[in-house]
Amino acid sequence: MSKILIIDDDLDILETTGSLLEYEGFEIHSADTVEKGLEMIDQLAPDLILLDVMFPEKKTRGFEAAGEIKSKYPKIPIFVLTAINREYAFDFDKKDVPAAEFINKPIKIDRLVKLIRNYL
Amino acid sequence: MQIPQLGSKIDSSEYTDLTRVVSWFILLRWIAAVGVLITLVFVRFRLGYKLPYALLYSLTGVLCVINLLFTLYYVAVKRKLLARRELAIFLHVQIICDYVLLFFLIYFTGFLENPFAYFFVFHIMLTSFLFTSDIVLIYVGSLIVLFIGAFVFEYFRVIPHYLLSDSMDPRYFRLYLPRAIGLCSTLAISAYLITDIKRRIAEKGRRVQVELNRYKELDRIKSNFILQVTHELRGPIAAMNGYHEMLIRGIGGKLAPRANELVHKADRRTENLLQIIDEMIDYAYMKSEEEVQYTKTSLNVREIIDYQLDLHSSQAIRKNIELISICPEDLSLYSNRDLLNIILSNLINNAIKYSPEFTTIAVKASAVSTGAGQTGAATAAKGAAEVHLIVEDQGHGIEPEELEKIFEEFYRTRKARELERDGTGLGLPIVQRAVESLGGRLTVYSELKKGTTFHIFFPAGGENEQDSDH
Repeated sequence: MSKILIIDDDLDILETTGSLLEYEGFEIHSADTVEKGLEMIDQLAPDLILLDVMFPEKKTRGFEAAGEIKSKYPKIPIFVLTAINREYAFDFDKKDVPAAEFINKPIKIDRLVKLIRNYL
Repeated sequence: MQIPQLGSKIDSSEYTDLTRVVSWFILLRWIAAVGVLITLVFVRFRLGYKLPYALLYSLTGVLCVINLLFTLYYVAVKRKLLARRELAIFLHVQIICDYVLLFFLIYFTGFLENPFAYFFVFHIMLTSFLFTSDIVLIYVGSLIVLFIGAFVFEYFRVIPHYLLSDSMDPRYFRLYLPRAIGLCSTLAISAYLITDIKRRIAEKGRRVQVELNRYKELDRIKSNFILQVTHELRGPIAAMNGYHEMLIRGIGGKLAPRANELVHKADRRTENLLQIIDEMIDYAYMKSEEEVQYTKTSLNVREIIDYQLDLHSSQAIRKNIELISICPEDLSLYSNRDLLNIILSNLINNAIKYSPEFTTIAVKASAVSTGAGQTGAATAAKGAAEVHLIVEDQGHGIEPEELEKIFEEFYRTRKARELERDGTGLGLPIVQRAVESLGGRLTVYSELKKGTTFHIFFPAGGENEQDSDH
């Protein structure tokens, strides 16, 4: 069973996305801070990571975390999740973020599953 | 004078301005030399003034030689490239030479009798324009001392007075004392005025800079605000949507048919709310960015259309609406991704909302080769002048009298209000604004009970892209 790690500070997103993906047959682990998430990657070695962008400590913490994860685990695909659906809102260039996919919230679960299967 | 600081005493911020001033000085000096010569000849042979002409011709000669040296130094030696300090020294040398030469030309041609004495005002104005007030003070002070000194020396016959008129008017000194005072005060006042105007302009410039910084800060706050608002409003909806999805899938227990129906209703209204939030934020953003050039990149049209259809697929499936796309795989458009997504999302969303079940919505894109208006996949390659985008539905259509109003802000057609309670009436105004911002044009055709078709034409490639293609 493919292991997916979800890192998001919104517990409801962890619960809903986690349950929906579990229902689709994935093994789900979740972390509500970037730090916990980074620790869990070491222990779990997930097959794919879903990573939120905005965290309370910093608006673009997720983008930075994506870079940190990528440099340490270049093989794990990272899907960046964000409720912000317009590029103009970020002064961060998407091209600089080592994400396999950018997923907008609300997550369309069928679409997400399809995309995940492309990478596993 | 502190020579090392000379460079910083120049009061013109633009270096290119200064080099232009130097070229201009040199040109003016040639014109002045010619003017002096013509005047001398005229005065000598027409008016018959008795003046030390040999001396005056020599002075003019000196002026020409000096200017020739300046030209050689500036053009041939330095190739018009001087360091700021060199430039300052060069300007000072030129100004001092000009002052001295003009003074002697005036002195030997009747001094205060000579109306050209007022030419010093121009020199003072230029000096005031170029240098900081302390330097200007030194120049104006020395000139006034020179003038008063020469006048007093003439009065006590220490130096001779060169007559412009035939015989020395015994009232010369009484007559010309007011003129001396007048000239000196004119010099001082013009220096003061120019310096003051310069100060005011600089003050204004500083204020503009402060304003500019304030606007930049406001812009940053605004972007941050949009980011925060988008996040705060869309976040909870994302969670609600997640729970609805869980219920619909029976995670947490299989739902009774009635409960399932209720959840679907809740989900539909949630989706409407999301659409409204997006429209309002897009509208606010585009209103505030009216003058902004949107950043453009090379976009694959097919990818964006497929992405949008994918996003709207569940919404369409629920109404048994078929979404199809017809677009060449390599069709590219040099445009702004956000705006293109906004345009497509709004048009597709409208089409789904206002179409009956079991209909088809087609999104087509193709390249238009020339202004002939022919479309075809065959011309999808590079060099296309325009990209033609079509969003076509088999919906209820729009009443002809309402058709012209659909792009008005907050306007919703009667049918739209009947079919869907929620809506801002901002979708199409946003689309229109986005199309205009991208330099495109938008037309709409609608037939009642048959459907509505939106045609959008975008200029295919920006200059940049076309450059890199060749």
